[in-house]
Amino acid sequence: MARRSKARTVTDDTVTAWLFMAPALILLLLFLILPFFMAFGLAFTNQRLIPGPIPTRFVGLRNFQRLLDDATFHHALRNNFVFALVVVPLQSGLALFLALLVNTRRRFITFFRASYFVPTVTTMVVVAIIWGFLLAEQGPINAILRVISFGHLGPYKWIDDPHLALPAIIMLSIWQGVGFQMVIYLAGLQGIPPDLYEAASIDGAGMWQKFRYITFPSLRNTHIFVLVTTTILAFKLFTQVEVLTQGGPLDATQTIVRLMYVIGFRELKVGYAAAITVVFVLIVLLISLIQRRVLVEEREVA
Amino acid sequence: MKRTVLLLTLLALLMLAVVACAQPTPQVVKETVVVTKEVEKVVTVQVKEPEKVTIWFHSGRGEERAVLEEQIKEFNSSQDTYRVEAVQLPEGSYNEQVNAVALTGQWPDLLDFDGPYMANYTWSGYLQPLDGFVSKDLRDDLLPSIIAQGTYPPDGKLYCIGTFDSGLAIWGNKSYLEKAGVRIPTSVDDAWTGAEFEDALAKLQALPEVKWAMDMKLNYGRGEWYTYGFSPIMQSMGGDLIDRTTWKSTGTLNGPQSVKAMTMFQNWINQGYVVPADVGDAAFYGDKTAALAWVGHWMWGPHKKGLGDDLILLPMPKFGEKAATGMGSWCWGIPSAAKNAEGAWEFLSFLLQPDQILKMTNANGAVPSRKSALAKSELFGPGGPLNIFVQQLESIAVPRPQHPAYPTITSAYAEAVDNIISGADVQKELDKAAQKIDQDIADNDGYPPFGGK
Repeated sequence: MARRSKARTVTDDTVTAWLFMAPALILLLLFLILPFFMAFGLAFTNQRLIPGPIPTRFVGLRNFQRLLDDATFHHALRNNFVFALVVVPLQSGLALFLALLVNTRRRFITFFRASYFVPTVTTMVVVAIIWGFLLAEQGPINAILRVISFGHLGPYKWIDDPHLALPAIIMLSIWQGVGFQMVIYLAGLQGIPPDLYEAASIDGAGMWQKFRYITFPSLRNTHIFVLVTTTILAFKLFTQVEVLTQGGPLDATQTIVRLMYVIGFRELKVGYAAAITVVFVLIVLLISLIQRRVLVEEREVA
Repeated sequence: MKRTVLLLTLLALLMLAVVACAQPTPQVVKETVVVTKEVEKVVTVQVKEPEKVTIWFHSGRGEERAVLEEQIKEFNSSQDTYRVEAVQLPEGSYNEQVNAVALTGQWPDLLDFDGPYMANYTWSGYLQPLDGFVSKDLRDDLLPSIIAQGTYPPDGKLYCIGTFDSGLAIWGNKSYLEKAGVRIPTSVDDAWTGAEFEDALAKLQALPEVKWAMDMKLNYGRGEWYTYGFSPIMQSMGGDLIDRTTWKSTGTLNGPQSVKAMTMFQNWINQGYVVPADVGDAAFYGDKTAALAWVGHWMWGPHKKGLGDDLILLPMPKFGEKAATGMGSWCWGIPSAAKNAEGAWEFLSFLLQPDQILKMTNANGAVPSRKSALAKSELFGPGGPLNIFVQQLESIAVPRPQHPAYPTITSAYAEAVDNIISGADVQKELDKAAQKIDQDIADNDGYPPFGGK
């Protein structure tokens, strides 16, 4: 094959590269990018999921005005924020703690690493159902609380009490997700050169000082990655609340993604659901941008 | 070498695909036919493969499912023209499944659905009228409530037929009632008043064996049960889900009578009379920690097994000027896009044979939909254990609103009931539900020709 001149013309390599990317790109375009822009358009219509006798009409800002009055939407937004504010620091902190624990070369350490990671590879539906049994009023969790408190901490209605439902969801979400962040932190920890620790030991630093002055700062990039991804994942809360509490009791566990599903697929109001999507995307985008501004990564100077 | 192996594998896969997609050819059979005494002619006859009839049904209580599967087997083995293939769908998300198939267009030939959804499905164009299939004899033999449930008000045509109608009443544990000294009503005319009912609850709660006076199946969770089971309380006190002439919900669902009814309901729960949701299903018939069960016909089997002769069926109380109870149940309809409507009707008329109806109703305790079947049944005749259901259907039963907005009506009301059970303010919840329903009707321009904008 004769090579064309290299300067500013499409080479065979470029064509091949595009051909390799084409299947994935086409799928992304069709199922991610296109619907994304369609949602922006549909948010201004009264589109139903099933075309019926009523024609689809342009309704302007009606869907957005309804959003402002919708109490369920406000509850869902509030729950999402509370969930994110609690889960992000708690889950990341716990993940770091676990990563520190398993970052050794002891025997059977692989067993522990695997056990902490197993919840992450379990489907969230299965996790939610199992936790449903654990959280039952006559279930194991209440029994353990009763035993360790000598009967003072009475059986709690984890799923039926509006004040306890969201904490219950938070607990099981952290339990399920912590393995993933732990593995990421583990990778980060293993990137810290051990000579730093040796030097610190020679200088007489204790364990806490080593952590505070060496480990924590060296993990800066990992922190940023974990925080940003956990925040975005926290806003996608859906499976657990749908399986365990169906958004109840009294909207205590209602979330934006669940609202989108119920309104779009059960009540067939695609236009209204699209409006919720638009608002939601803008909010998450804003938060991600703020996070990126505040948490500037440490880039190596080549 | 590698390339040849690859090509051969691809070829093999391709051939497999072609074979899998091939249609079975009709079998050719040689048959000997005697034409005259002297001459025998050998004739080749083509035997047709039985036509496939696809049906969908909801996977409900175990007894119903078992009977239906039996009936399908019986139908398939009794004739060669049609072969029924059934798909079972979960009851909870059934309406969503129907909506999904409306998008894909892969309709079955016959499907069952909850009666109140008929108006919505017909309005959306999913169903075809059955009048052409139904004979006059069949029409005269069906219960009036079944005909009413299946008739689409704007054109008066029949779009669905059920093999049974439902019953909702109060099951009681006779020995507990006698122990507590509670009067036992024997017929609908004799029913408790609201005051007598609450008095009975208090007396039963005081018994040492009774933890909760009444099981209201809160363990079913937020779904159709809340609308079916609890809207009659409002209807008995003069309220309702929606005004059935103007088709407006505001003023009726959140009107004073409905609010009074749901507040009374909330009080029963707050006073501890009602079995909590997480206790499970068996408080009445298993552990016998509940004295009454406010539930429908489908519990006949488990209740009879658990309580035997101690089981008694009581009519719904008169909370207001009259009593009210639920009616309507799952019924069968043929989609407009069905490929084999004749096959579907063949199977449906098989299911509607009085003996087949009785097979089903003996298992699930529902009221047979044909007068001839009712006459043959020992359960429902005068003096029979389930006769109360028949009395109620003839006098006090109120159908759920027959309007295309029913899916929204039931989901909004069920959500309100769920929140009321959790202790929310009754007026606020009913206000929210009424507004949601009216908004849905307005969004759909009043579902012409139903009006009610």
